[in-house]
Amino acid sequence: MVRSYFRRAYSSFTAHVFDIPPRFMAFLFFLLLLTVPAMQLGSYVLRLLIMANIFAIFAVSWDLLVGRTGQISLGHALFFGIGGYTSGLLFQFFALPIWVTIPAAVAIGALAGFLIGFPCLRVKGPYLALITMAFPLILSNLVKWSPLEPIFGGELGFRSLPPFFPFLPFTQAIMAEYYLILLLLFVSSIVIYKIANSKTGIVFVSILDDEVASKACGINVTRYKIFAFTISSFFASLAGCLQAHILKLANPPMFSLDISFLPVILTFLGGIGTIYGPIVGSYIYVILDRYIMSILLPKAFESVGWTLPREFDFAKLLIFTLIVLVLIIKWPRGLARFATDELQNLEEARDLDERGPRIWKRYKKTKH
Amino acid sequence: MLNDLIEIFLLGGLQSGMYSLLALGFTLIYGISGVVNLAHGSFYMLGAYMFVTLGAIGFLGAGTMLNAVFVLVLAAIVVGIIASMIYRVTIHPVLGDEVAIMVATVCIALIMQQFVIIFYGVTFPRVAWPEDSILMNTANILGVTIEYSYIAAFVVSLALFGTLMLIITKTKMGKAMRAVSQDVEAAMLMGINTERLYMLTMGLSAMLATFAGILITSSTTKSAGAWMWLQPLALSFAIVILGGLGSIKGSLIGGFILGYAEQTVKTTVPEGGAIVGVVPLIVMVLVLLLRPKGLFGKRVELEE
Repeated sequence: MVRSYFRRAYSSFTAHVFDIPPRFMAFLFFLLLLTVPAMQLGSYVLRLLIMANIFAIFAVSWDLLVGRTGQISLGHALFFGIGGYTSGLLFQFFALPIWVTIPAAVAIGALAGFLIGFPCLRVKGPYLALITMAFPLILSNLVKWSPLEPIFGGELGFRSLPPFFPFLPFTQAIMAEYYLILLLLFVSSIVIYKIANSKTGIVFVSILDDEVASKACGINVTRYKIFAFTISSFFASLAGCLQAHILKLANPPMFSLDISFLPVILTFLGGIGTIYGPIVGSYIYVILDRYIMSILLPKAFESVGWTLPREFDFAKLLIFTLIVLVLIIKWPRGLARFATDELQNLEEARDLDERGPRIWKRYKKTKH
Repeated sequence: MLNDLIEIFLLGGLQSGMYSLLALGFTLIYGISGVVNLAHGSFYMLGAYMFVTLGAIGFLGAGTMLNAVFVLVLAAIVVGIIASMIYRVTIHPVLGDEVAIMVATVCIALIMQQFVIIFYGVTFPRVAWPEDSILMNTANILGVTIEYSYIAAFVVSLALFGTLMLIITKTKMGKAMRAVSQDVEAAMLMGINTERLYMLTMGLSAMLATFAGILITSSTTKSAGAWMWLQPLALSFAIVILGGLGSIKGSLIGGFILGYAEQTVKTTVPEGGAIVGVVPLIVMVLVLLLRPKGLFGKRVELEE
């Protein structure tokens, strides 16, 4: 009896408080991010948020291809690495300024996506996933191969790439980089969101749902799939060359499987098929993995007088992956989607004057 | 020149047998339950580590050949049980969603990698047969020196391959596996407990990976350590895609194609050893461009 009153009070409270349009929430989020440098959190935190923004661009591009079009790619590191290496090559051999290398890298990345799209059209489902996984592995071995070392720099790759703002002092340069990359994230997520919700985006979803039926409706499936590949690789290579210039480094690990799996895990964390989910996922990843577990936890332990064992460095990834695994099993639709669904359900519950348990029943039904 | 040819023929053939064994587990679990198991390489790694750990205990006298063989089988059984439990807890709940399965198996692989780093360190405890056993001797066949362990690994691989074929064609469990791979719903209506069958298949697949892991790492100089799961994973998916996902005959033939291709590059191209990991992938991409479903690819094909 008492419990049901509590539940009712809680649900009406959340429904009223969170009854804000998502667009406004996104706007608030970006506003919050704009004020971060003013909080004086130090350059390390800014660095982290820069990396979070780059990962977010990367994961959003993956989400458009996989979550919306259904073309499973487990080799997005290909475009990421091509972006970074193109920047590196152009700087190394032609000493081009950064404002030339980045557009060139993005263009070549998009071209790679366009070209990769053709062979990948012939294969479907798990075959597509595995064949896309192979391309970055091939390239990572090639760039490491010693006969090609004069071109690609071998194991070390390219070092000392130019920073974005060489003329500014260190702290200001980081702040400027932060704003630049935030702007790029803003622009690219808006562009991808608009594409995903345009007529083209609807066609993408129709290909995901039923390829044969969309063919029967007179849709040129081939063209749309290649378009999805191109757009996705465009933004993935943008993320790659941004990372190369931020870390001033383009090396073979950019092609590694870890990088291929990164957008997958981030997208699943946030919610696949929503364009905003991967952004949420990458922020959660960076904050949890690189801030809470790398800085806050050791500090907390120190204040008590304990020291963390050295192995904890490796346990961080373990803990994070475990969280993702549990999420996939429990809520396969992701955290962001889970939150929005919850809100929607609460609204419906309010409308129908229904209470908590119904939400869970709906969940059981949608889960398969 | 002739010497090179003989070397390619002999070493490539021996290597191919082991590769087929490695890919067999991958194709088995896909053919029956439709799970693309990206953690297959981890079971390979787990097997090698388990072999070292259990071997150090020395059940039948440490350092003897009898003990090594006993531990080999024991490690396979332990990894099989671990794998089927992992399957039940993590993969079974998301069955039917391809992307979720892949992500879940990748997570499992990463978790195992971190476990291994935490408990064993980054360096690898060497997987090897006892020093004084006959397997450490070398034979000279047509001017090519080959270790006995290499030949033994090849023979054991083919024997395991044959055993699996027998299980699938002759036993009742194999019949159930074939039925499930053809039509899950009909098989369920006939009273086959698919959940238990999937768990069994996963265990079997992991056991095969364990055998492959121990045989390959103990007889060759494959890269070892906490990242050793990546290369066999790439290799096994290349073989499996080449032969066709879910086709057992395909994994045998794919293994031989890739084994020979790798050995050819290793002997003929200068500095070929460094780039040898690329060969399977390039062959795979080329074949897939010509035949999008692999050489023998069909979703329903386990009779062969």
